[in-house]
Amino acid sequence: MADALLLGLGGLAVLIVLIAIRMPIAYAMILVGGGGTMMLNGPTLVLSQLKTLAYGQFSIYDLSVVPMFVLMGAIASKTGLSQALFRGANAWLGWLRGGTAMAAIAGCAGFGAVCGSSLATASTMGKVALPELRRYNYSGALATGTLAAGGVLGILIPPSVVLIIYAIIVEANIVTMFMAAFLPGLLAVILFLLTIAIYVAIKPESGPKGGVADRHEFIAATMGMIPVLIIFGLVIGGIYLGFFNPTPAAAVGVFLVLLFGLLQRKLVWPDFVSALKETASTSGMIYLIILGAELLKIFMSRVGLPQETAAWIGGSGLEPMTVLIVLLIALILLGCLMDSLSMILLVIPFFWPVLVDINGGIYQGADGAGFGMSTEDLKIWFGVLALIVVELGLITPPVGMNVFVISSLARDTPMIETFKGVMPFFGAEIIRVVLLVSFPAITLWLPRVLSG
Amino acid sequence: AEYEFKLHHFLGEKAPAHSQMLLPWAKQVEENSGGKVAIEIYPAMTLGGRPPELISQVRDGVVDLVWTVNGYTPGLFPRSEVFELPGIHTNDPAATNKALKDLYESDLKDDYQGVEVMFLHVHAGQAIHMRDTEVHSPADLAGKKIRIPTRTGAWVIEALGAIPVGMPVPELPPALQKGVIDGAFIPWEIIPPLKIQEQTEFQIEGVDKERFGTTVFQVSMNKERWDALPEDIQKAFRDASGDEWIQKVGEIWAGADDFGIGLAVKSGNTHVTLTEEETEAFRKALAPVTDRWVEEVSSKGIDGAALVEKAKAAAASHASN
Amino acid sequence: MITDPQDSSSGFTGAASRIITVWALLGGGLLLVVVLTNTFSIVGSVFGVPVPGDFELTEIGVGVAVFSFLPYCQLVGANVSADIFTSGASRRTIAFFTMLASIVALVFAGLLIWRMYFGMLDQKNYDYTTTILQIPHWMAFVPILISLALLALAAFVTLIRDLKVLSKG
Ligand code: NA
Ligand code: NA
Repeated sequence: MADALLLGLGGLAVLIVLIAIRMPIAYAMILVGGGGTMMLNGPTLVLSQLKTLAYGQFSIYDLSVVPMFVLMGAIASKTGLSQALFRGANAWLGWLRGGTAMAAIAGCAGFGAVCGSSLATASTMGKVALPELRRYNYSGALATGTLAAGGVLGILIPPSVVLIIYAIIVEANIVTMFMAAFLPGLLAVILFLLTIAIYVAIKPESGPKGGVADRHEFIAATMGMIPVLIIFGLVIGGIYLGFFNPTPAAAVGVFLVLLFGLLQRKLVWPDFVSALKETASTSGMIYLIILGAELLKIFMSRVGLPQETAAWIGGSGLEPMTVLIVLLIALILLGCLMDSLSMILLVIPFFWPVLVDINGGIYQGADGAGFGMSTEDLKIWFGVLALIVVELGLITPPVGMNVFVISSLARDTPMIETFKGVMPFFGAEIIRVVLLVSFPAITLWLPRVLSG
Repeated sequence: AEYEFKLHHFLGEKAPAHSQMLLPWAKQVEENSGGKVAIEIYPAMTLGGRPPELISQVRDGVVDLVWTVNGYTPGLFPRSEVFELPGIHTNDPAATNKALKDLYESDLKDDYQGVEVMFLHVHAGQAIHMRDTEVHSPADLAGKKIRIPTRTGAWVIEALGAIPVGMPVPELPPALQKGVIDGAFIPWEIIPPLKIQEQTEFQIEGVDKERFGTTVFQVSMNKERWDALPEDIQKAFRDASGDEWIQKVGEIWAGADDFGIGLAVKSGNTHVTLTEEETEAFRKALAPVTDRWVEEVSSKGIDGAALVEKAKAAAASHASN
Repeated sequence: MITDPQDSSSGFTGAASRIITVWALLGGGLLLVVVLTNTFSIVGSVFGVPVPGDFELTEIGVGVAVFSFLPYCQLVGANVSADIFTSGASRRTIAFFTMLASIVALVFAGLLIWRMYFGMLDQKNYDYTTTILQIPHWMAFVPILISLALLALAAFVTLIRDLKVLSKG
């Protein structure tokens, strides 16, 4: 048994080395998972399992929402939805100091309501809002920092690809997770808006007032936001109220953005093709990581590492809250190196059993539970917390994908400025995590109300 | 231990199937072998893959033993499927387990290529859970969307004039609650883990607990692994899986089922037991299901009609009442 | 980062890139078919006539579509990697690491073609089908094997690209 554990730890070390030398994370997991299992139990076993493993993983029904939401976001970004959102938000907020940046945040939130990915939200809204921010002489740091941070809303506001994957790993209900993420997402929007207000109060020159929209423009711009409201209402509202399950809902969402694009005459053939290509590369990347994570899970289960980790932490006598906080900090640190999806797939299978153990088992009710809530609630609460901290990695140096994306759109702003501009938002996120840890009700209230 | 086995299955370790059936069985084998055998159970697909892959995993030697549902892979176990038809299994899982054993050597064996069956068993039988419709006749089900368990279950639902809907078990509670489906066709034993009592008002079964079909499960070992075992080890497995054991398995599943319906009734649900006449109306409506199955398997060279008669007789011969 | 496959649209690599791209687009088309099936099923179920077996059509359709995306992912370098430790490395060093990744992808594609071919035979011989529509699963393996062959091709193309960078220095 000890030998097997050593092999497992060795496997983790190799995994880190492979990731460090730019091996795509999916292939690093495939190599370690497949290779490790071969070393442990011989090659025939892995070879036999490969006959059906990939097909089985790729045809998981619950996962089918992922490519659909990716497609929905990809099409949405070509349809002029983003322009309409930004214009509408700007009509409401633009006249304030820092208002155009606030409008960008609101636009990101709106776009996040139809798009499941952070990068897509950052780049789509970046293209729309950066020129405007520039026009009103916003400082490079505030302009790019706002958009890099705003992109995170793409994943914090449902639909959210990472949240779907989390739900599948811990066997949570996707609908419940979507409900749980809603108020925390709204809280993020509020805190981001406050951040901008404080930022421009301290440095007024970085975010000048924009123009005041006249009555006609105000009405037209406001009306322009209605399609998004309708799509979000039908898709996410439909899921919340139970008109349909996530997969058909996502399908309806794709159908609606497609229809919207065609009606607006904004979606031309080359755009459509490039939306399909984007869906192909994003979905293919996600599924390959899922396959890699499954192979790694097989190896780790066979050496018994997750079981041992759970037993070890469970027996350490640490306070539940201490374990949770250490875990969240570890995820933030890991986020400096890895993308959020890989992190969720790599870390949650290890640590979810630990939390279940500490809480008192899978069927633990609220009474006498380690975290003072039932394991069902813990699953929801921890999922939202984990989602936030893994997404922080998108805006922290040295690897901050959102920052990279925005930098590539704003070539005149040095990347270091963007990282500086994003720091206040990082602070806001930490405040939000503290709030959500202290008041679990923010997360748990809506699912409870909506599920009756 | 000298002989180590990995037993893989799809349910969590708190499920009665794990704690009351697989664990005690494994312990018994270990004991019978005088400590030469050790069986490690991996619940919840921890060794990878999806539940339908379990049978390939054991056949290919990815794991040594599996517990799986035949119906996960429709088409693979056409002969054993006879026991899933309405009218064969009625209300006594222990009797059906024994009937499966009776027919195994003579009629069912060809289904199990590449594996050595330890034992076959069924659950207490499919019954009807409804959101808000009290059902007393097939007409009450017309046009209702019902979640189906297996392909023969789908045929039953169709024969009753309802619409079969496939969906993963975990999606059942929200789908029921929101009316995405109107009901489900599964045993009572599923009620506690999924809190089905909260999403439904009516639980319906035939007279004298009669059910409309069931699901066949198997615990099987990789064939090569089995063949390579010395006789005393094989005997340890066989002795743990005899008549007494499958009787016990029947009782375990019946017990879990009783517990489930008890919970539903306690929380205020209506437990409908159809009268003899009402049940007869269902039996009549379901007769075409058997015909459909007989025709279906004849394409595989199986004499379905004869098998139906044999299975019926065997199940009846073990019936306790 | 994602590179444009049209970079080298001449000769063998150009033709390979186009085939791989078209194949991924076909997969995207299949995804759209799944989307429409689900949309019809929703609309239909409002009127009491859902699409029978939409559940299993979705599973198979998405599965097949996603396999068709893998070669394109390899071609455009969409598989995420962490570049923090190597951000200061020379172009050659990086090309060397990318080459390793291409080799891994090539070997993995080959392995999957071999294993999933036998997987397909198993599905056929043992008669695996879906529950409601009774679609034989082996049929899905045919386009999947083509996707895997294209994944091998894509890995070969990226390997050649890496080798060119390495040899130029
Ligand atoms: Na979103
Ligand atoms: Na980072």
